[in-house]
Amino acid sequence: MELSQKIPKYLGIYKAFFKASLAADIEYRLNFLFLMMAEFVWYSTQLILFEVLYRHTSVIGEWTLSQMRVFIFLVLFIDSIYMILWDPNFSAFTDNVRRGSLDLLLTKPINSMFMLSSQRLSISHIPCLFITAAGLIWALMQIPDFNWFKLIWLIFLVPSGLSVIFCGRFALNCSAILFTRADFLQYIWYSLFRLGLRPDAIYSGFLRFALLFIIPFAMIASVPARILLEPTHWGMLLWSLVLPFILFFFLKKYWTYCLRQYSSASS
Amino acid sequence: MKTSFIAFWRRNLALANLGIVTNLEYRFNFIIDAFIQPILTVGIEVLLWLAIFKTAADGQIGGFGKQDYLAYAVWAPFLGRITISWMYEAMMVEEVASGSINTILSRPLSFFEYYLSQLMGYKIITTAFSLLVPLIASIVFELPVNYLRIPGALALIVYYLILVHMMSFLISIIGFYLTRVRSFTLLKNLTLLLLSGELVPIDLMPKYLEEILLALPFSSGVYIPLAYLSGRGDLHLLQQGFINVSYGILIMGLACIFFWKRGVREYTGTGA
Repeated sequence: MELSQKIPKYLGIYKAFFKASLAADIEYRLNFLFLMMAEFVWYSTQLILFEVLYRHTSVIGEWTLSQMRVFIFLVLFIDSIYMILWDPNFSAFTDNVRRGSLDLLLTKPINSMFMLSSQRLSISHIPCLFITAAGLIWALMQIPDFNWFKLIWLIFLVPSGLSVIFCGRFALNCSAILFTRADFLQYIWYSLFRLGLRPDAIYSGFLRFALLFIIPFAMIASVPARILLEPTHWGMLLWSLVLPFILFFFLKKYWTYCLRQYSSASS
Repeated sequence: MKTSFIAFWRRNLALANLGIVTNLEYRFNFIIDAFIQPILTVGIEVLLWLAIFKTAADGQIGGFGKQDYLAYAVWAPFLGRITISWMYEAMMVEEVASGSINTILSRPLSFFEYYLSQLMGYKIITTAFSLLVPLIASIVFELPVNYLRIPGALALIVYYLILVHMMSFLISIIGFYLTRVRSFTLLKNLTLLLLSGELVPIDLMPKYLEEILLALPFSSGVYIPLAYLSGRGDLHLLQQGFINVSYGILIMGLACIFFWKRGVREYTGTGA
């Protein structure tokens, strides 16, 4: 099938996924409302942490409060995109493997990675996306002489950050195929993800290098925030552009390897 | 009376053992849960506090020094993990939602007791192992921790766990009235992250907020036992923690009894 045929087909499928997710989410309205509230609480905790800390200090890891707000809103904005598009699917992945429902998903006549990652959308996160975007604009307005043209870089930097989250989570989930019970993969993911919720300037030495180039959680929001707030670092910008291709290349290899090891749980 | 207490004790001991055995069944899972995750969390928090102290004007924040905050960063995630209930609450919610609670209702024990003892068993085994992480870190980095105070702090935590379980129980029995309540767990646990002082020491908050949070029972989950351990608070604060949890248990207990009685009357078993 050619690309010109594939794109409308996948867009149509995605539209159907969205409709089904919307119907499923708003079926239980109180639950939906509580989910939205929970997301607000979670995002608020990240903001409150730094707001409280900056009451007692003026700089943390090279950044002032205004700069840190840009970082926090940017990381929350990227996180909310990830939560909307992929999180419900990744959270259900280990159960799909254990219960054998992965078999059914693999037999669908579409790309298996797309099917496994995009079947379900989290509608309750959509308000957070708008709020964090508004928060980011507000935070940038507090920066003196901010060059608004730099926002264009986000067109490349946000997808790059998302690719780190997507590939990292997908790769960890793939490993569920290799283990009997893999709840621990979720624990590891949430612990690792915390690395990305903090500015990279608090890390130093090899850890900082690793977070930029080996397990690139610093590319989620720290580097994009630096590119917005500091003089443009062309090397980092180039790395942001190349990184998604490298990550998806290795992810595809690893996914193929894991599938070869897969023995159906339902048979 | 004596016989009934022995029966009660044996039953609950068996349930606690069940909680321990279930969680030790998948050892790799357990190791990650008890060791790796706390180590990663502690590591990140320590780095954040080190970065904060690089720029602290007089080496002090809110009247406490770097070592005090490192002690907080090392112990808070550990205590936070002990005093939160995700897994057992999810299981309880699922029992009510799926109707499999019927199998418990038909036995000579209560739904509350069945899961409380399992939760305690799970928490005891997890605590026993993962306690090594903050203990070793405290010894190696010579953090200001009064080791003689550990039993007092742990006693408050065990007492607080009863309150935690009551909240889980209340959320699960809301399932008698509503079809889906999973989001309640998420909202409750995230709110507790803030109210317990796990996220940020309560004494760094604005004064009025500090007073409110210390008056609530939730600060007995992380802040009060940790303040007592690290010398930020004294015996009086620990006593205050016990009192706060007591009125929390009283209020939550009344709500649980009320909703349970009404819920069971209205409940139509649809499952197993």
